[in-house]
Amino acid sequence: MSTGSGSYGAVANPSQGVPDWFAKRKKIPTNLIVARWVPVALVGLPVLTLLAIVIYPTIWMFYHAFQDTNMMRLFQSNWSFVGFENFITVLSSSRFSDSIWHLTLYLTFGTGLEVVLAVILALTLFELVQKPLLRTLILIAVVLPMMLPPSIVGVLWKFMLTPSNGAVNHALLSMGLISSPVEWFNAGVSLWSIIIADVWNWTALPLLIIYSGRVSLPPAVYEAAKVDGAGGWIVMRRITLPMLKEVIAIAFIVRFMDAFKFVDLVYVMTSGGPAQTSELPAYIAFQRGIREFAIGEAAAYAIIIFACSAVIITLFLKYLKKVLKAQAIA
Amino acid sequence: MMSKKNYSLVKWLLLLFLGIWVVFTLFPLYWQVITAFKSAAETNLTVPTFWPKEFHPENFVAVFADPTNFKALVDSFIIATGNTLLSLFLGTLAGYAFARFPKQAGGENLAFWILSNRMFPPVAILIPMFFLFDALPWGTDSYMSLIILYLVFNMPLATWLMMVFFRDAPRELEEAAYLDGFTPFQAFWRVTLPLVLPGMVSVGILCWIFAWNEYLFANLFVGSAVRTFTIVIPTFTSGSQSLWNLQMAFSLIAMVPPVTLFIVLRRYMVRGLSLGVVKG
Repeated sequence: MSTGSGSYGAVANPSQGVPDWFAKRKKIPTNLIVARWVPVALVGLPVLTLLAIVIYPTIWMFYHAFQDTNMMRLFQSNWSFVGFENFITVLSSSRFSDSIWHLTLYLTFGTGLEVVLAVILALTLFELVQKPLLRTLILIAVVLPMMLPPSIVGVLWKFMLTPSNGAVNHALLSMGLISSPVEWFNAGVSLWSIIIADVWNWTALPLLIIYSGRVSLPPAVYEAAKVDGAGGWIVMRRITLPMLKEVIAIAFIVRFMDAFKFVDLVYVMTSGGPAQTSELPAYIAFQRGIREFAIGEAAAYAIIIFACSAVIITLFLKYLKKVLKAQAIA
Repeated sequence: MMSKKNYSLVKWLLLLFLGIWVVFTLFPLYWQVITAFKSAAETNLTVPTFWPKEFHPENFVAVFADPTNFKALVDSFIIATGNTLLSLFLGTLAGYAFARFPKQAGGENLAFWILSNRMFPPVAILIPMFFLFDALPWGTDSYMSLIILYLVFNMPLATWLMMVFFRDAPRELEEAAYLDGFTPFQAFWRVTLPLVLPGMVSVGILCWIFAWNEYLFANLFVGSAVRTFTIVIPTFTSGSQSLWNLQMAFSLIAMVPPVTLFIVLRRYMVRGLSLGVVKG
């Protein structure tokens, strides 16, 4: 205790036998000293880059969504203002409403299912697999698909789902689950092929998010529950799931956001076909603008997608702030 | 409330489900590997074989009989590496500023705005960027265009993760360096940067994987001069006959870097940082 009181004295009166470096150190304010412009410059460079590669194109899209721009007019620069005509064309087209229906299916049986599966799998893995080595191996195995390039995932599943001699049809036939080969790339089925590949590819992400969320829950709570004699199921329902609520929400929102950008598997596996039966909105925006030269309409699609994404991103950031604060990362 | 017996039944069912899921995850990869070793004739049999009749490891060499395939890997490597270095450079600057001078650097909202760029739907910027790059001296079909474009998703990631690492690095060391007469830049360069170097390497690896795997931007931008492997692989069979075995061998080769890096990185990925910040 005596040494402690000594140091208090030193702070009260710096001139009395305090080492020089200590006295100087006390004068330093909480922030490190740099010129005012330094932090601004440090952040400025990345922000300027983002302005050039994100904000500029966004403004461009907003502008052309209200013009009758197509590829030819763009090169001759003689487009003209048409008001909301592009939006009306898009919203009244059956291609758009079909793609919304496809998106709904994808969100339910792709995204939604992935998150439900991820919750079950992540918690089963954490709670019921006790051997550390086995747990690591399983985790690597189930997260692996996420690391693969989407074009390879698309090609691989296209190969596996080949109707005539693909591995999936053959396996299903020999197990007696189907009586004749499924035509995986026919109208009405091709969307489901994409969803299957997507579930394979992306269940890993919510799984990883929920698993790491479970890892960072404080063990003290579980010890307390153990002392109180609460059983596994009660602990799961009353402690684990409520505490993981936000993390699960994040996992869901992240996948939900991806749904509005989802193009690559559609492109590689079906190109939206046959006869546009597996098109999602993002794919049409891409296709209309790049391959079908209707830039104004593509811009209208992009604006609609942008608006949906903006809402979801805002929601995401809200939850993220909450969780990051709780985990003391931010 | 559930009885003990029911509970253990549920346990076994859950474990069974996990086992089935592992099989479901690994089966396509297994199929990819055995197909890569099959002969071309064997991949086109009406009844697929679940184990190659004879192994053809020479498939992995045959892939590179076409020089464009090797060039595709080189192109992907150049773009991924160039983009990673640029993302790390910009991300380190901003991350350091947000960690050390949060108020002066624009505060939490600016940091979150930078992050939100990562979630941006790429279709909204793809078309304008195409015409913008078309007007620039290096054009769309170049390393430069993709290196810059991939900043859209990699730079926010690098900024955020570097911010976390700089926050964890003790600022006392930096303050001590100031007192020893270091300039702020020297203190940053000689004291703090070495401390966060391991973190920086893992951020770099993550960025590299995302750039290596990218498909959509590349699909629109590449032409004849630059072709990433992600574009080459899906069009592999567009010739007269389908060469599944070579296609699978090529994709296995292209998968090696991300898969290896992931296995090395997994501990770091599982530990909290994967909170959706990692995924764009």
